[in-house]
Amino acid sequence: MTPGDYLSAALLIMGSLFFLAGTIGLLRFPDVYTRLHALTKADNVGLGLIVAALAIQASSWAGVVKLVLIWLLVLLAGSSVSHLVSRSALHRGVDVWKG
Amino acid sequence: MQHLYLLLAVFLLLNLGAGMWRVLRGPTAADRMLAAQLFGTTAVAVLLLLAELENSVALRDVALVFALLAAVTAIAFVRRAWAGTEDSNDTR
Amino acid sequence: MNKARQEIDWWTVLSRAMLFSIIWWALTDGADGSWLIGGPVVLCALVASVALRPKEGIVWRELLFFVPFFLWHSLIGGVDVARRAFHPRMPIAPELVEYPLQLPPGLPQVTLVNIMSLLPGTLGVELEGQMLKIHLLDGRGDYLSGLKRLERRVGRIWVESADDFSRG
Repeated sequence: MTPGDYLSAALLIMGSLFFLAGTIGLLRFPDVYTRLHALTKADNVGLGLIVAALAIQASSWAGVVKLVLIWLLVLLAGSSVSHLVSRSALHRGVDVWKG
Repeated sequence: MQHLYLLLAVFLLLNLGAGMWRVLRGPTAADRMLAAQLFGTTAVAVLLLLAELENSVALRDVALVFALLAAVTAIAFVRRAWAGTEDSNDTR
Repeated sequence: MNKARQEIDWWTVLSRAMLFSIIWWALTDGADGSWLIGGPVVLCALVASVALRPKEGIVWRELLFFVPFFLWHSLIGGVDVARRAFHPRMPIAPELVEYPLQLPPGLPQVTLVNIMSLLPGTLGVELEGQMLKIHLLDGRGDYLSGLKRLERRVGRIWVESADDFSRG
């Protein structure tokens, strides 16, 4: 394994742990708003780290740009969806959990 | 590296499975909509790992299409799932 | 709609042509033969994007400065929420607050709402005129200063090309 491989492996494992954090938050957090916090932020960081790890392994610059493009699209989808879902929930009178 | 890709792809799939529990259980419709979000991000990550494992450009393109569709499907899903009573101030 | 009659500045056209070319190049993994199709596609995208351009313009220099800021703070956002999720006592104190916006409506406000959901502790819930409802993961901390800073930064990225843009 090259030094690049070790860095990639570390990033991949960290990224996966963020996905785990997102899922734990999804299961543990008390209402839909807090679950959205967990899912949106943790999963996007997780995917970002995985994309970074794969970019190190990429054989061409075009491949790197494509990876970044994929990440940006998921970011856009994630933040838009979390806004839409929370807005709909508020309109439908889903209460905000307070301590 | 190949083992790691496979291991993490499986790990992420298990993650997705665990997250499905919340989606199935709800309790509100909004909680079920989290599925769109969960699937979008996790599926893209799994596909990218598999693309690297198989050294396949095609699979990476599948991930790209998934990322593109994630936005569209999720928005359609949110609108459909709340269809009916809601959103007086939506532009129709 | 006399704004659509504005002069098209060539820097905008050139930078967009470059952006679309880079995207095409990445999508096709740099295959040379693909430009036979890619050329016309980039041209179509360019025409469409200039015809449909919003009244706000991007300040590329500010966007460039924004990237590291965004990467760092979204990483903090992920670490913060992960820590709370893993923590045995789950330290959260959610709150729904209203935040009066300084940003003009349209793309600047939408950008702010989208970005804030990826940064630590804030979730943009609803936009009503100049009032934004924000869900906070922990209302005990100081979220206002961070929000104001983010709002200022977003305001610098988008400038209205019309002359009525008086905010600094």
